[in-house]
Amino acid sequence: MIENLNDQANEILDRSLLASAEFHQYNQEQTDRIVEAVFKAGFKNRVKLAKMAHEETGMGIWEHKVIKNVLGTQLVYESIRNERTVGVISSDPKTGITEIAQPLGPILAVIPVTNPTSTTLFKILICLKSRNPIIISAHRGASKSCSETVRICYEAALEAGAPEDCIQMIKSGSREFTKIIMGHPKVALILATGGTGLVNAAYSSGNPAIGVGPGNVPVYIDESADIPFACKNIISSKTFDNGTICASEQSIVVVSSIEQKVREEFERQHCYFLNNEEIKKVEKIAIVEESMSMSPYIVGQPVSVIAAKAGITIPEGTRILIAKLDGIGRDYPLSVEVLAPILAFYSAPDHRTAVNLCVDLNYLGGIGHSACIYANDENRIYEYAELLNAGRVLVNTPTSQGAVGYFYNHLPPSLTLGCGTGGKNITTENITAKNLINIQRVSRRNPNELWFSFDQSKYYDESLSVEEIMNEYYKNH
Amino acid sequence: MVTFNYNPDDKVLTATFSGRLDTIAVMKLSEIIQIKLPMTDGKSEEKIVFDLRDVDYISSSFIRICVNVAKQAAPGNFSIAHCQPFIKKTFKISGLDDILHVS
Repeated sequence: MIENLNDQANEILDRSLLASAEFHQYNQEQTDRIVEAVFKAGFKNRVKLAKMAHEETGMGIWEHKVIKNVLGTQLVYESIRNERTVGVISSDPKTGITEIAQPLGPILAVIPVTNPTSTTLFKILICLKSRNPIIISAHRGASKSCSETVRICYEAALEAGAPEDCIQMIKSGSREFTKIIMGHPKVALILATGGTGLVNAAYSSGNPAIGVGPGNVPVYIDESADIPFACKNIISSKTFDNGTICASEQSIVVVSSIEQKVREEFERQHCYFLNNEEIKKVEKIAIVEESMSMSPYIVGQPVSVIAAKAGITIPEGTRILIAKLDGIGRDYPLSVEVLAPILAFYSAPDHRTAVNLCVDLNYLGGIGHSACIYANDENRIYEYAELLNAGRVLVNTPTSQGAVGYFYNHLPPSLTLGCGTGGKNITTENITAKNLINIQRVSRRNPNELWFSFDQSKYYDESLSVEEIMNEYYKNH
Repeated sequence: MVTFNYNPDDKVLTATFSGRLDTIAVMKLSEIIQIKLPMTDGKSEEKIVFDLRDVDYISSSFIRICVNVAKQAAPGNFSIAHCQPFIKKTFKISGLDDILHVS
């Protein structure tokens, strides 16, 4: 069995490597033509693919998945279309340094069930723009819609002159096979978006990886915030595709002086505060006790379904369930990431305690990902930003639509959000095509006058002080 | 730099620190702490709380003192309270916030 899987992996990678060899010879114009064709094909099918993903996974809202597909095609395309990713990408006559973009080679792209078609479209576009063949490994719960996405993109790419096998998809969805292919020596990079286990597997594979795992996004509503505005934005974000974006808000933290106001505003905007008994019932169906992780059965589900599963009655038209908690960690299951319209809510006696709580939430499984503050006090905003370990600190912004870029800010549009070393990434950037090239620096001879005008024999003289050497080094400059 | 207060009812000894606890300050502090704090070998019922509400910097040597005191206290009897967020983050980065019960 394993031998067979190894053969399969070898075959896929051999094909991919050949595609890589051919792709390497393409110029910028040829590359851009392919990227444009794939963008157009993906964009044209945005509604069909969104509906397929929704139907297959049973998660989210198809209209919102259309917007995600638009992000993964139109917005990503527009952000990369004019970027140079082939050959000389910059040249500085002053320093004599010329930068040359080189492709990486076969990229294994792991696709999550929560954003399947949009992430596939996005990863295909950025890989092709950087002349890297891509191998899609989709979550088995979304293999049909991803397979259709791959078919559409691959046909368009071939039509535009792309190398054969520049886009492939792994048929076998077994964990064993994913592990084998992740560790395959011919894989140049793994772009892993998914759960903790999968991201860790990517990092343990021995191949370079950019992995995006869970976020546990804390949101601090400061006393200086516009409360109705904050609540409205939080709701629009947490209900977007039923909360399936890993940058969606998880916990709301306020100081007790504004707790009542925030509560009333959430209630006015059709959110429901669970009582203690209801919190217990929701915890039971939302969190897997042993692993303290969200249950796949509630991911991307509407509030009505979650309430029915939990056996609680909520007012009609409820948009989000809110659980007021007294602490975080194992004793408070809803303090962990839940990709569904459920929010934890904390009230702290003062600003210091509130911010400390946000730090705790940040470190509870979401380190490096994203955080948010609603405030109109610059000092508070920067104090918060410095304290949180988050690649993106969003200010007065819905986090689902804010972290992925473009809609509410000038972050690059992306469906793979770097989490820095906190999330075991090498970058905190929103991943895009420029992260998928090796940059060679051709460095022309350009002697440093300081070095050559200095009498270097002085370095061997231990009687000279640091100051004496430094003064001599910079003399007449 | 540090004041001690013992509450016999709750059996809580609170050490309230203030200022900048850099390496030099901590050298002086460690002697005082050794004298003032009960060395319980993890058996005493007394609780020890380090109150850091007025501390704006801690050195790694101060964190080491916290770890040593926590080791000598009975399990769960040592905690650090009222940290400024920046100090809280420092403990988070050290990875010792859980065992030191930092709040």
